[in-house]
Amino acid sequence: MPQVVFHKNGQTFTDEVKANTNLVVRAGIKQFPFPHLKYQCGMGKCATCACEVLAGGDQLPPPNWKEKKQLGDRIDGGWRLACQLWLDHDIELRQDDPACT
Amino acid sequence: MSELLSRDDFRTALENAIKGKSANKSPFSLAWAGGTLSREQLARWAENHFHYVGPFADYLGYVYARMPAQHVEAKDFLLANMYEEEIGGDRHTDLLIRFAEACGTSRERVTDENNMSPTTRALQAWCYAVAMREDPVVAVAGLVVGLESQVPSIYRKQTPTLREKYGFTDEEVEFFDLHIVSDEIHGERGYQIVLELANTPELQARCLKICEVGAQMRLLYTTALYNDYVAVQAEVEEAIAA
Repeated sequence: MPQVVFHKNGQTFTDEVKANTNLVVRAGIKQFPFPHLKYQCGMGKCATCACEVLAGGDQLPPPNWKEKKQLGDRIDGGWRLACQLWLDHDIELRQDDPACT
Repeated sequence: MSELLSRDDFRTALENAIKGKSANKSPFSLAWAGGTLSREQLARWAENHFHYVGPFADYLGYVYARMPAQHVEAKDFLLANMYEEEIGGDRHTDLLIRFAEACGTSRERVTDENNMSPTTRALQAWCYAVAMREDPVVAVAGLVVGLESQVPSIYRKQTPTLREKYGFTDEEVEFFDLHIVSDEIHGERGYQIVLELANTPELQARCLKICEVGAQMRLLYTTALYNDYVAVQAEVEEAIAA
């Protein structure tokens, strides 16, 4: 099962998830990374769920059209929209609140 | 059913109640997945589908009003679901209309209720009746677990086909992409509510029955779409050829 390491405002949370898991779906049903992962629309429109991928990004599919539209140049810095990702492998992500960055 | 099922057994029973009549097996869904529908037939689907899913927040509004005040989490879920359908991002029905327009029909035709088939009208009426008349927990089982939770598995099959076989662009099929995430959340939250609040053997039995009926209604709806728009056209083409 994929292991997810999630960094938030200086704290680290780790858990295993089932293969083919979407972290926004998980947060939506109040499972890890709830309540730490911030998200809103769940449809790639608001970028609230944007995360910096620290490890495992090379195994993700290329950013889709919504991610390109929402993230622009941030894609080159390793940012992705969590709502658009279905995970099958270990990954390490960071999503800090603006005041903590 | 005389004994209360455990949460795990109840969930399995709910999943089985839906599975037997899954709309994935309808001839319309199979034709869609096989890439054999015309854009005109997909337009008719969109014109019908609007009247089934368009009032979803209305259905849930009735359930919300009738859900007892002490079930705060369930009420919050219903409210969040309504918000997400309508104003959380793009209005979901606007994305459906975008797809419909790409199929060659218009917003006016889609929103005109005279363009839905009698079977679609029956499905819509069934949804309203469930929302207004059933115990609110049973209504969540019927509308959210029985109907909404089926959507991700259907759209996962249909969306790649829309791009690869029918040639639609990413933006034209956004309605389908979106529902893979949002309906997965809604369906799962629906399961959690039903597993928590259906706390007597009688309520569990009613939830199971309505899931089965909901799945039957959706299958009836998609089968009628095939009969009304695909089979009829095939018969006309055969008659012309003969």
